[in-house]
Amino acid sequence: MMESGIFRGIDHLIVDVSLALIPLVIFFSAFQFFYLKYPAGYVMNLLKGVILTFAGMVLFLQGIHIAFLPAGQEIGAFFGSLESLWIIIPFGFLVGFLATFAEPAVRILCHQVEESSSGFISESLLLIVLSAGVAGFVALGMARLVYNIPFLPVMIIGYLCALLLLPFADRDFIAIAFDSGGVATGPMAVTFLMALSVGASAVIEGRNPVTDGFGLIAFIALAPILSVLLLSVVFRKRRVKTNAV
Amino acid sequence: MQLDFKETFIEVLTAITPIALVVISVELALLGASLSSLAEFAIGTLMVVIGFVFFLSGVRTGLLPIGEAIGSEIPKSGSILLIIGIAFVFGFFATVAEPDVQVLSGMIDVASNGEIGRGFLLGVIGIGVGFFVAMAMLRIILGIPIAYLLAAGYIAVLLFALLTPPDYIAIAFDSGGVTTGPLTVPFILALGIGISSVLGGRSQLSDGFGLIGLASIGPILGVMAMGAIAV
Repeated sequence: MMESGIFRGIDHLIVDVSLALIPLVIFFSAFQFFYLKYPAGYVMNLLKGVILTFAGMVLFLQGIHIAFLPAGQEIGAFFGSLESLWIIIPFGFLVGFLATFAEPAVRILCHQVEESSSGFISESLLLIVLSAGVAGFVALGMARLVYNIPFLPVMIIGYLCALLLLPFADRDFIAIAFDSGGVATGPMAVTFLMALSVGASAVIEGRNPVTDGFGLIAFIALAPILSVLLLSVVFRKRRVKTNAV
Repeated sequence: MQLDFKETFIEVLTAITPIALVVISVELALLGASLSSLAEFAIGTLMVVIGFVFFLSGVRTGLLPIGEAIGSEIPKSGSILLIIGIAFVFGFFATVAEPDVQVLSGMIDVASNGEIGRGFLLGVIGIGVGFFVAMAMLRIILGIPIAYLLAAGYIAVLLFALLTPPDYIAIAFDSGGVTTGPLTVPFILALGIGISSVLGGRSQLSDGFGLIGLASIGPILGVMAMGAIAV
């Protein structure tokens, strides 16, 4: 019973993942044949990497399907059916903060920013600002479910703030800021939070999973953009002052 | 290679631990979950960790070198059309193979009762990324500042949003968010850096960067257009 439970639906998954990777292999083969002409041993090594990618994707997605999606939806449905709905807001904040703080890709970004700013923006400061930023936006996403806050105005205000900050930020930071949108939460955090939000929207009266359950990832993506731009603007002023003295 | 595997494993484990702990404590304390369902969650989490480590290592040893090889080979041809065409294909393939994109489109399919189909959505997101990666290459070749393109892209997004049916708006923005995953980012960066380095003379740092930010605009516009047509 347990066995069939763990591997349920894996056959479809294998087909889906193959469909995603095979075109890439064909594309590369054409290049190898016409232009690159790498030695066979090297091509075999690349192929091993592709097979490893395939196995990894199947395992990862299967794990997401049996563990993270159902757990997220279950927990979302639990919070969504509580008398005091607002509890899901601090819960979202907590998960958002922990997930971002623990995410290795975020550390890499923070380190990169510290280097690019010649130490003016410290790694640990950015890490805290970013984690709090993501946590705040996850909380906002949950508040949106509870209080029926419209989605688009939040996005418009968010991106307008980013646009307004652009002229005051360093050129290198603009690129880093916009690139970092997806860094904030790895695939594991994203899938869990998405399932949480969809699960809650399915049980809260008057909410629709399609229109209200989604949108959280977009909120989360705003956090690092605004955090990096904001810090760049603040520290640019300070740097100009220091240089003037 | 051995060390690399271990490091990746520790990284993935660090990233997943807080969420796994939150889930287990909520399931135990508030939902009174049974031991067998907790065991299934634990096994699933283990699959996620091992799967992600395999995936990342595979990307590093297989897909990334492929990306770099093609990325540095194309510009030698000197044909702008070829560079842009290949950039499009690259963006498309990397995106449809991205785990986050797979999860999101699967979830949207289920939540909309199949009305917004998984395969179709994957295709639209892939085309969106492909188109904007191609635009980003054109930007590098022509030397247009990234800020202009980003500003123009996001203004287009805001205008499009007014014409999009409400069902598609949140989904469109989410599609933009998931494209920046562990496959697309290094794959597209490899291409961009390959092209910048062959073209030479330009600042590699600010040329290679900004690609990812641009790439996430494409799917937003694509899914919005899909919604406008579908309704």
